[in-house]
Amino acid sequence: MTTEVFTTRIVEELKNIIGVHKPEFCYQCAKCTSGCTANKVFSEYRPHEFVALANMGYVEEILKSGVIWACTECWKCGQYCPQEVAPVEVIIALKNLSIIKGYAPPKALVEMTKNVIEKGLIQDINQVMTKDFEFIDRDSLGLPPLEEPPQMDKHRNILSKFFGVVMK
Amino acid sequence: MRYLLYLGCVIPTKQYAYEVSLREVFPKFGVQLEEFNERCCGFPLKSINKKAWLYMGARVLARASELGLPILAPCNGCHVSLWETKHQMEEDPYLKSEILSYLKSEGLYKFDDVDIKHPVEVLHDIIGLEKIKEKVVRPLQGLKIASHPGCHLMRPTDIPRPEDNANPDKIDRILRALGAESYDYPDKGGCCGATMLPFSPDNAIKVGAQKILTMINAGFNAATTSCPYCMEMLDNKQDAAKTITGNMEVSLPVFYLTQLVGLAIGIEPSKLLINLNMSPVDEILAEVGVV
Ligand code: SF4
Ligand code: SF4
Repeated sequence: MTTEVFTTRIVEELKNIIGVHKPEFCYQCAKCTSGCTANKVFSEYRPHEFVALANMGYVEEILKSGVIWACTECWKCGQYCPQEVAPVEVIIALKNLSIIKGYAPPKALVEMTKNVIEKGLIQDINQVMTKDFEFIDRDSLGLPPLEEPPQMDKHRNILSKFFGVVMK
Repeated sequence: MRYLLYLGCVIPTKQYAYEVSLREVFPKFGVQLEEFNERCCGFPLKSINKKAWLYMGARVLARASELGLPILAPCNGCHVSLWETKHQMEEDPYLKSEILSYLKSEGLYKFDDVDIKHPVEVLHDIIGLEKIKEKVVRPLQGLKIASHPGCHLMRPTDIPRPEDNANPDKIDRILRALGAESYDYPDKGGCCGATMLPFSPDNAIKVGAQKILTMINAGFNAATTSCPYCMEMLDNKQDAAKTITGNMEVSLPVFYLTQLVGLAIGIEPSKLLINLNMSPVDEILAEVGVV
């Protein structure tokens, strides 16, 4: 496959995931980066660059570096972009694509995915310590138990298919 | 007023103070909360697989549709996620029919007729400030409380959001109805950093610490939020924030809005699980004579 065919295919794949938002309207003003939450703590995290690279299909480096996972999905970039690009949606699509390409997401996300398939929730019921050094949970507080909703087996099956790649 | 109490993942497994204070406070205003044991809305896993996220949200909505009641979603993440699910499928009929085919295999057929409310909307728009004021027996005088709406209460604006992104003031108005002071400050709509936790806990906590410092610098002696993720970052991790930033000034009492409403209408602090707030809340409540 030539590089050109390859990058065109990546652009198409990303567009499919992005859906309604239109990254091709970006004119590189970098307004998104100037207000970006993740950029404040990671200077190499620059959404306007990710949008440019996504538009050209040159995304292999970003996917490999894993830097996209710094995004807090705060939607500031999408809100203040004069071109209604929503860089955040481009970055979410890049994250989805990185999973498809076999790159591992942060470990804690794999753990959450596993819990969602097994229990339907991202985490188990926690015992929490109060300021008086007492451990409490739903039971001790008298809160209703988290009973399983109906059809959980079918739900689990569908989720396992969706998340199969991550669990490998 | 009847709602399905959709707690999501974080509230019923860890952020008990939010659940308990909601269950205490809302019935006092005639709001009936029905049990609704549904599973994850998909929000935390949107970055892993967008289609799975849509399916998970649609499933929650479809179960609510069967029961014929609106949803109360106290988590900002759930609230935005369920609205976005509805919105995206309105825009894309192909996607909608694909998601519906999954739901059909579970015996679910409809999901787009469900309304989704957040506690801030119920308090401000439905119960209303006058009703709140009438019930206040312990005004929160002396408290200057910063509203931290949290990103998803305000954005994205192409779907209905409880707070106005340009001028978020509903929480401020509720706080004033409780007798506290509240006003605008720089980066009010800023992010708590929670979603960065899986990637880099230290940097996520730095983002949260920055938000706390902004509120302190604006002259507040307390802060409030209505999102379990924000609470985790702004309250539960304050000690970690001090260690990581090396700045001992990252110290501000933080409450759930439902805890503050509860205090003001005379509910005992123990019934609002104030002892789960890790920030210095007892000191400030004693100082201003609320308890
Ligand atoms: S995405 Fe929007 S804000 Fe960012 S550089 Fe492009 S046009 Fe500017
Ligand atoms: S959503 Fe992500 S890219 Fe956009 S401003 Fe927030 S952290 Fe930056």
